[in-house]
Amino acid sequence: MSWLPKSNIVVPIDFSDESEQAIRTALELADDPSHVHLVHVLFPLDSVSPGVVWGETDDTKREKAVNDYFDTYLAEKGVEGVRHTVLFGNPGHEISEYATNNAADLIVIPAHGYHGIKRYVLGSVAERVIRLSKCPVLVLRRHDQD
Amino acid sequence: MIQQRFFWILAVLVAVWQSGTASPSYAQDAGDPTVAAEPADSEATAEGAESESSDTNQANEESEPTASGDAAAAADDPPEEPAGFFRSAEKQVDNAFGEFNGFLASWMFYPVFGFPLAVLWLIIGAIFFTVRMKFINLRGFKHAILVTAGKYDDPEDVGEVSHFQALTAALSATVGLGNIAGVAIAVSVGGPGATFWMILAGLLGMSSKFTECTLGQKYREVRPDGRIMGGAMFYLSKGLSEMGMAPLGKFLAIFFAILCIGGSFGGGNAFQVNQSLNAVQETIPFLEQNRWLYGLIMTVLVGIVIIGGIRRIAKTAEKIVPFMCGVYVLAALAILLMNFSEIPSAIGTIVAGAFNPDAMYGGFIGVLVQGFRRAAFSNEAGVGSAAIAHSAAKTDYPVREGIVALLEPFVDTVVVCTMTALVIVITGAYESPELAVYRDSNNGAALTSNAMAAQITGFQYVLAIAVMLFAYSTMISWSYYGERCWAYLFGDRASMSYRIVFLVFVFLGSIVSSTNVLDFGDLMILGMAFPNILGVLLLSGKVKTDLDDYWNRYKSGEFTRSS
Repeated sequence: MSWLPKSNIVVPIDFSDESEQAIRTALELADDPSHVHLVHVLFPLDSVSPGVVWGETDDTKREKAVNDYFDTYLAEKGVEGVRHTVLFGNPGHEISEYATNNAADLIVIPAHGYHGIKRYVLGSVAERVIRLSKCPVLVLRRHDQD
Repeated sequence: MIQQRFFWILAVLVAVWQSGTASPSYAQDAGDPTVAAEPADSEATAEGAESESSDTNQANEESEPTASGDAAAAADDPPEEPAGFFRSAEKQVDNAFGEFNGFLASWMFYPVFGFPLAVLWLIIGAIFFTVRMKFINLRGFKHAILVTAGKYDDPEDVGEVSHFQALTAALSATVGLGNIAGVAIAVSVGGPGATFWMILAGLLGMSSKFTECTLGQKYREVRPDGRIMGGAMFYLSKGLSEMGMAPLGKFLAIFFAILCIGGSFGGGNAFQVNQSLNAVQETIPFLEQNRWLYGLIMTVLVGIVIIGGIRRIAKTAEKIVPFMCGVYVLAALAILLMNFSEIPSAIGTIVAGAFNPDAMYGGFIGVLVQGFRRAAFSNEAGVGSAAIAHSAAKTDYPVREGIVALLEPFVDTVVVCTMTALVIVITGAYESPELAVYRDSNNGAALTSNAMAAQITGFQYVLAIAVMLFAYSTMISWSYYGERCWAYLFGDRASMSYRIVFLVFVFLGSIVSSTNVLDFGDLMILGMAFPNILGVLLLSGKVKTDLDDYWNRYKSGEFTRSS
């Protein structure tokens, strides 16, 4: 890939400290903030939690809640003009697919993810994105990596 | 920091293994007759699983309440030959369960002054919380009803469900076969006197439930999508970390999560299948010889909800359960009315049995332990599981949901369990010679079914439907508890693996002997009290401060009622 400004950058967000770093990096690389797509992936709803059983929670409400959360979060961080989207499913798969569908030319992802036993059981989202995506992936290292 | 959690999980497993192998002394010594898996039995099984000895039969026999505790006599029972491949496979699975139980029982039910350790711990916790919270179980009762009725609901509060919905969700996990079968077991093993201690345990348990559910709300996490994650694992890790005990908190949280997963496979699942099948086969004898068939049907029915994602079924089951619960209580009341003249003498028997028990019921402590144990198994107070459901309630005041939660042991134990117990006592089912076969095999569901059918003709059919629904909704609710703990340990993405293992246990519940399923459920669910009550004791100061503040504001009329 060239180091010229990118026209479409996908940034998976889980609202952790590392997410903010990824947004800043993407803004530096993009030619315009509106070309930065922030993506939050939600797991499919279960069938047994009280909220679901009583019909108080559904994907429409969850999506709206996350979008509201995005607005507050971005306002807090002083980030303007970026886009944000909510997806449902397996994070690695959804992120790569979204990038392909939106002709992204870069994915910026923090490598913080799971550690310890969860890493052995699940692998990291970043690993999966690298494997599945058709565009270049920039993996940011975590600060406290040991 | 990396792999820290992995380390803790390993540490817990090693500690459990060590304690199990180090002390080969079993709870049976404590005069606690339902712990069936014997060391001798386990060893024999390990060495000669293929030999024709029928360990299931032995296990069942040994759980019999023998005053002398002479388990050897029970082995005289002629062994039953396993017939066919399925039968012998069933036996092997059952034996494996028995061994595992014996190993866990060696430390969880370690006898202290005649009390199995886990039961003593629950009693200490319940008394402490009742005194520390100045009898919130009594003084909070009226407020609990008003809050549940929606008088203080604010739809704008953070959370997923109303107070009423959270209480119903938690109740669907607690009202299950523990209320029907478990209580019958308590009365047949501990005698009528166990009823008294069970009711007392229910009343004291209200305070435990209040304290743990308040903490569940206080330390819950709100995810960006508005979903709530809470429960003992969160208050143990976050709460104790606030108090400068982060490593202990993490250890207890992981310990709790492991046991809760076990509880969701045992008491919240296999026990429900097993005992509901016992009641159902009273009406469909075909199932008696083909128990696996019922297991398979239940597996499919649970599977289409938890894996297939058919939510309508879970919703329907959840809403029918309160109705069935009402039918059950009314039927029990009808039986009490039909035997109106015997009520005073039944109460006399219960009180006398509680303080001057017949030696055959294991003496004063034996009876008390039965009452507390079956009450805790049924209402889960002090166990910490319900905090997972209650944390989803919409409220800005953790104490308010805690107060709602104290209704749970009341409804479950003081009302529903007491009904079962009174029926068993009044009808004499706990001592009737014809029903001895059910008592000996811990088949509590059949005992209740027979006792009720003798009074109301055909009631066994109603009960069969009721218990299937109770079992089903309890399993669905417990799968949620287990899955939250699983996700806590392994991440949200690992849910599917949990669901598959859960279904395996649904099936196992149908083929493993009642005694082994009961013991496994007990060990896991009562075991959860170790990490939970320890953490809640340490955090009780915070609850006390919050409660005092809330109560002052409530009394001063600061909280407005909606109507």
